[in-house]
Amino acid sequence: MPRWGMAADLDRCTGCGGCVVACHAENNISTVGDDQASRGRAKHWIRVERYYEGEFPDVRVKFRPVMCQQCDNAPCEPVCPTYASHHTDDGLNAQVYNRCIGTRYCANACPYNVRFFDFFNPSWEKPLHLQLNPDVSLREVGVMEKCTFCVQRIKSAQIGAKAGQREVRDGEIQPACVQGCPSKALVFGDLEDPESEVSRLSRSPRGTKLLEDLGTKPKVAYLARVSQT
Amino acid sequence: MDRRSFIKLTAITGSTAALTACGNPEHQLIRFVPDEDIVPGQAVWKPGVCPLCSAGCGLTVRVMDADADVVVDGQAGVKRIAAAKKLEGLPDHPVNRGALCPRGQAAIQVTYHPDRITQPLKRTGNRGTGQYEAISWDDAVVELVGRLDMLAGAGNQRMLAMLTRRTSGHRGALLEQFAARFGAPAPVVYELFGDEVLRRANAMSYGRAQLPTFDLANSRYVLNFGSDLLGTWNSPVAHSRAYGEMRQGRPGVRGTFVQVETRMSQTGANADEWVAIRPGTEGALALGIAQVIGGKHPDYTPDAVQKLTGVDARRVERLARGFEATRPAVAIVGGAPLAHTNGLFTALAVNTLNSLVGSVGQPGGVFFTPQLNRAAASNAGGGFTLQDIGNAHVLLVDGANPVFTAPAAWRVRESLEKVPYIVSVGSFLDETSALADLILPDHSFLETWSESLPESGSLAAVAGVAPAVMRPLHRTRATGDVLLDVGRRLATPVNLPWQTFDEMLAATFTGLPSAAPDVDTWSDAQTKGMWTGTLPAGLASGASPQTPAAAGAAAFAAPQFDGDPGQYPFHFLPYPSSKFLDGSLAHLPWLQEMPDPLTSGMWSSWVEINPATMQKLGIAEGDVVEVASAHGTVRSAAVVNPGIAPDTVAMPVGQGHTSFTRFASGRGENPVTLLAPVTEATTGALAWAATRVRVSRAGPADGRLVMFAGGLREHVEHER
Repeated sequence: MPRWGMAADLDRCTGCGGCVVACHAENNISTVGDDQASRGRAKHWIRVERYYEGEFPDVRVKFRPVMCQQCDNAPCEPVCPTYASHHTDDGLNAQVYNRCIGTRYCANACPYNVRFFDFFNPSWEKPLHLQLNPDVSLREVGVMEKCTFCVQRIKSAQIGAKAGQREVRDGEIQPACVQGCPSKALVFGDLEDPESEVSRLSRSPRGTKLLEDLGTKPKVAYLARVSQT
Repeated sequence: MDRRSFIKLTAITGSTAALTACGNPEHQLIRFVPDEDIVPGQAVWKPGVCPLCSAGCGLTVRVMDADADVVVDGQAGVKRIAAAKKLEGLPDHPVNRGALCPRGQAAIQVTYHPDRITQPLKRTGNRGTGQYEAISWDDAVVELVGRLDMLAGAGNQRMLAMLTRRTSGHRGALLEQFAARFGAPAPVVYELFGDEVLRRANAMSYGRAQLPTFDLANSRYVLNFGSDLLGTWNSPVAHSRAYGEMRQGRPGVRGTFVQVETRMSQTGANADEWVAIRPGTEGALALGIAQVIGGKHPDYTPDAVQKLTGVDARRVERLARGFEATRPAVAIVGGAPLAHTNGLFTALAVNTLNSLVGSVGQPGGVFFTPQLNRAAASNAGGGFTLQDIGNAHVLLVDGANPVFTAPAAWRVRESLEKVPYIVSVGSFLDETSALADLILPDHSFLETWSESLPESGSLAAVAGVAPAVMRPLHRTRATGDVLLDVGRRLATPVNLPWQTFDEMLAATFTGLPSAAPDVDTWSDAQTKGMWTGTLPAGLASGASPQTPAAAGAAAFAAPQFDGDPGQYPFHFLPYPSSKFLDGSLAHLPWLQEMPDPLTSGMWSSWVEINPATMQKLGIAEGDVVEVASAHGTVRSAAVVNPGIAPDTVAMPVGQGHTSFTRFASGRGENPVTLLAPVTEATTGALAWAATRVRVSRAGPADGRLVMFAGGLREHVEHER
């Protein structure tokens, strides 16, 4: 059984935001508009955090793409009264939309702020709806949504491999953010396979996990940006 | 009862049932027979070319079935169509190699935009009021032909003006050829953030009037003067791709990246060393570095450079030593440093650095993508400029929106209002199209032939081309075909060698060398979405780049700014937005809602101010501030930016549209209205970074600023 994980090389990431829009396009994430966005209701399953350090002219910036960390010990899962938020066999923190009753306990419990609540039904002014990805279900009002590691792409690759009577190759599965990344900062793969690119990167001496001290056992490794000066 | 009436009856019964059942009028019960074979649920990938900027990235488009609302013989219903679902980078394209920038990811919303112009329109109300009536294509073409015949009849062919954006491909060439055969001057090309200064400098330094390509992947030291090469400038995806390789693609080797600028851009945020500099003095620093390395610029000693630029003399020496010792090294310039009155000097000075370390045409250095030679059109002389385009009798607008992107002081709107007849081929009613008398909407890039001839971003020559990915959604027509059709129908026909636009493309691609003897390059390119290879001498344009003389061509001239420093104490920097470039993408909702990389702003405009300056002026983040130049005033929300000089304020360009679809109209402020009509001294290009402004607090926060981040200065987590 694979264990899906990701590595984000912060020495490659340029903060461009390509991953953010790629995710919207792939996962049918609705835009909410300025009024709702000003209330904190914009949904970005992946975001690029930006940190300033120092004062002018000695200023430095660090970027960090943050998506669901797919924790092995996920705080969002045990708090869900309906098991909408649950752990799959291959290690994903899955969200079953039609089990979700919108208690939002999971969002409160998540230390990474990567769960987004649907405060209203999504709408796409026609013909924008023609773009919707039929492989990803739409979320209605009162439901919590989040990064799935593009589970539809994982399944599709697995089905393809099974039909071809072979194993899924390393690098064959690319979530939308990984696929579109201009600087190849994001790598996705199977952490159970010690030879996979993501495993190799996760073992890097530059590697850290986000808020690791909380004991969440996240499956996204961040490779620190190298400091020269 | 025949089949047709049976279906009609079913529909009526069906709608009645739906109406009574849930009170929700449902008219989509009729399913028309689809025009194409497409297997439901099964994705097909087709090639395409991204149209949003001149980088010309290759696309692969995921196509699946979808139900589109259609009206057939007055009967509304749905029809299964093959619809584009997702754009991804074309894996083997030499420019973007499978990746896309955020704007490219959002390009699909151009096709599905709810406010696209769906059919030819003729103006009925006053200009700019947006009142149009629908007309048929036949009537529209007849009307345009009539107007052109009137011009020709009166011997006024020279009074036909065309206004376009800078494009890389055959579209521009077709317009040029049409104008030439008709007897009109060459089209006016206008870009707010154009690169004419750099092209001129490269022509002088290397004999190539072209944007450069950088082999960043093999560089070990990159010295970048102000260009936003990882965000918005030149070929950002190609640069980002190579940047990743420069950092972590070579075992044991990590390239150093130094950025020199006034406001920390997204690109500058990635630098190992960020050097703040006085605006317009970048060229002096470049020559200072050249002096330390080569000693041929005695006027630019580190101490003299410190006085001019504000960069510490020891730092000048250190940068020079690093640039000299860490080969291959490359120097880059673009964007704001060239948008000053002395821009050409700055560009030439930076080119000097490249010749000094021998990086021209060498691995890790500067290259020029081989360009396909195109037959030059012989247009009538004495062409129009943006300033005197009001004298034209007929104006054809293709994609340019100077009413929004030109300084108010140029009075483009007033001049366009004087033109008796304006035709636009735009898909949206933007500020310039809203003045048109006739609108002949083009297909979207997914509905017709898409193509590009990238000017840069690849070491090898590349030409992108792809047939339509899907059928047109609306009653639009491909502009190339319309133009050729109009030409044939004129009283004195303009006969171009092609019947349709794709014949023009075929003529080019058939002539390209093929990879194998039995491969037809034209059909092969369509399948792959591009052609790449070596251009034979007869097809390549321009000489091979020369290595320039090491000496800079001109002496440093201090940049001139518009506005008295006493009255207008701040430099004003309008910069291309990561989301909207020059504002031409503000109509795409994904980009509106995408957080800005540095401020996390969404759906809004803002003014970036240094925290010390904010404190001095009593401004808090979110407060409404007034920014005024000698030419205009805007009010916008203040945002703290620790990476901007205390004497500079910056605003992203792109918002502030008065007419540009439901998502952009009436949103935010347009900083271009503040700009002075100052130009670069030699080339005449707009010096968009040369305006001074004053800044004052106008009121408390009023909710106009929307940010995704909770607070701007989060603490850095502990990193091992």
